[in-house]
Amino acid sequence: MQMKIAAWIALTSVVLMTALAFQGLFGLSSEGPDWALLDDPYFHRILLFSIKQALLSALLSVLLAWPIARALYYLPHLPGRRAFLGLCLLCFVMPTLVLITGLVALLGRSGLVTPLLDTITGERWNLYGLIGILLAHILLNMPFAVRVLYLQLQAIPDSSWRLAAQLKITGFERLKLIEWPSLSHTGLMLFGFIFILCFNSFAIVLTLGGGPRSTTLEVAIYQALKYDFNIPEALTLAWTQLLIAGGLFLLISRLGSPAWLSVDTACRENTPSARGVGKRLLLLTYGTAWLVLLLPILALLPGLLQDSLGRFDLTDLLRPTAISLGLGVIAALAGMALAYLTLQPVREAAIRGQRNRRVLLEWLAVHNLVAPAMVVSVGLFVFLLPLMDLDRWGMLWVALLNTAVVLPFAIQKLKPRLLQFDSQYHALARSLKLTRWALWRIEWPFLRPVFASTFALVLVLAMGDVAVFSIFGTQEWSTLPWLIYGYAGTYRIAEASLTSLLLLGLCALILWGVEYLQGREKVRPKKGRA
Amino acid sequence: MLEIETLKLERDGQLLAYDFHVPEGQILAIQGRSGVGKSSLLNAIAGFLKPRSGSIRWQGHSLLALAVEQRPVSLLFQDTNLFEHLSVKDNLCLGFSDPPYEALWGAAEQLQIDQHLDKRPGELSGGQRQRIALIRTLLRPEPLVLLDEPFAELDPHTRKLATDWTRNTARTNGKTLLLVTHQADDVEKVADRRLELGLTA
Repeated sequence: MQMKIAAWIALTSVVLMTALAFQGLFGLSSEGPDWALLDDPYFHRILLFSIKQALLSALLSVLLAWPIARALYYLPHLPGRRAFLGLCLLCFVMPTLVLITGLVALLGRSGLVTPLLDTITGERWNLYGLIGILLAHILLNMPFAVRVLYLQLQAIPDSSWRLAAQLKITGFERLKLIEWPSLSHTGLMLFGFIFILCFNSFAIVLTLGGGPRSTTLEVAIYQALKYDFNIPEALTLAWTQLLIAGGLFLLISRLGSPAWLSVDTACRENTPSARGVGKRLLLLTYGTAWLVLLLPILALLPGLLQDSLGRFDLTDLLRPTAISLGLGVIAALAGMALAYLTLQPVREAAIRGQRNRRVLLEWLAVHNLVAPAMVVSVGLFVFLLPLMDLDRWGMLWVALLNTAVVLPFAIQKLKPRLLQFDSQYHALARSLKLTRWALWRIEWPFLRPVFASTFALVLVLAMGDVAVFSIFGTQEWSTLPWLIYGYAGTYRIAEASLTSLLLLGLCALILWGVEYLQGREKVRPKKGRA
Repeated sequence: MLEIETLKLERDGQLLAYDFHVPEGQILAIQGRSGVGKSSLLNAIAGFLKPRSGSIRWQGHSLLALAVEQRPVSLLFQDTNLFEHLSVKDNLCLGFSDPPYEALWGAAEQLQIDQHLDKRPGELSGGQRQRIALIRTLLRPEPLVLLDEPFAELDPHTRKLATDWTRNTARTNGKTLLLVTHQADDVEKVADRRLELGLTA
């Protein structure tokens, strides 16, 4: 009963945070949304661009990920496979500013590869605009798609391959009869999920968009609030974004959700291995993927050799590092606790077979994924300003809002594991008449590996925040991403590169550390039953 | 006494009907073709399936208003009985407020699975898993025990061990036992009475 109450309080708090943010904006302007904007060509342009860049980003991410996932699956003895999967995870959660710094160092106006691109294209290469946005979105999301598709390929039952071999099914038929049916559904959901992430993208579009021609709804909301303080316009844009992204998310929820980012350990005996030309092509794909993912990171290294770094005091980074870690840990812990609690009513609805109720509750729990982050942050800021001293309590709100930002990711990862527990053991647990505490003691070891990897993931995500900090943060409590933003804004690329590498190293250490610990306590392999 | 009266269950659009009594302490074997509703009956008594009509009474009190957790029933499912991520020993001790360790270890020794207690269920054979679940189900304090094909995966030797142990334990502890089985042998060795279910039982 107490658990039920706690769960409903958690869910209500999550929804309340967004509601108060909107209330904050409504309170400032008595006019409400400016619906005339819907007929404005400016609105049409940003709406079309938002959809176009998200559509292309999602499509290219999934399409490019497919051959890489195939290489991982069909080449069983690939060197560095585990490291590559780790790199994919790191790229997905990499702080956006680190990627942007790397991309600018590589392909910016005075980037390392820019002269080569100038020669190839025969004109002055320009990173800024649709190209830059697409490149950054693909570099962030394609690795995520690789992991999901690879996992899905691994879920093909071994018996299917045995049967295919026995029936002498090869080549295209194998693709059509086995691979495609196993990937098509996940591919579609993946596409939708990446579309939403890119549709709501903020930092990348702001920094690499390069001007008003490449503006998305999220950036337009930011501009409407920051430069014009035009609340009716911001509200109209916010509702549009919420409706499109939210509607799409609801659709994906009905389709089911991809069981993503988990480490697969299944042992396979009958999976066909690529040979001949096919093998060489897959190897080439794999090698290229390594290069493409590493290049923006490697491009940060030359910055370390610049003279200006000689005058840089490294101890200046200690405090921001500690603050980033502290904020990240608080947001991640709170995010995990909230995710577990808000999933309780979802589990209950799933057990009772109440599909619509389940989808609705899930949508409420993860609505922050589609609610414009800018509106929530600014709205809350405006709401709280008369109520408390935000210079003093601002950092608390940075942690709280980051909790809300990471919550959907925590929920998406914990949900499949908890639903699996219920579908396997709910009847057994009830029949054993276990108390809440006894049940938790059984549930915890089942949940622990996913809990640990999810914690690492959301910790890294929270450590990369810039958007919330830009509104609630103070200079005195500067975090590492905020420092990078400051350095990049004043063209101190060497310092930006060094700080980016430090932040990236920390993220990698956290992800690698958790994976290492999990590897050590991995369950012994199952033996066949007599 | 367990009284099942004019009980009607719906499963896959099919209506199943039951009407019988089991005196306290009796062992009843339930048989019938696949799909006739044997498991559904056990699930209804345990509270996992809501009947369309009729009554289920134990010692004169209706069970229908009670939640699964409140019913005096210990059930052995046909398939999932063990938590795969817990050790066999931990699984064996579940469902007791104060586990009777001596009885549990003794039964494990008797059924020749005591050397597997520190393993995970995934490392056991089907028959070994079934014996572990059987011990727990029968030693739990509930007076009404429901077993859904408990000996299906056992070889002749362990089958004899398990059937003998089941009958003796049920007798000693005064359990009322309903046992679903396809084997005439089990009926002969364990049960006091046999009930054959038909489509309109």
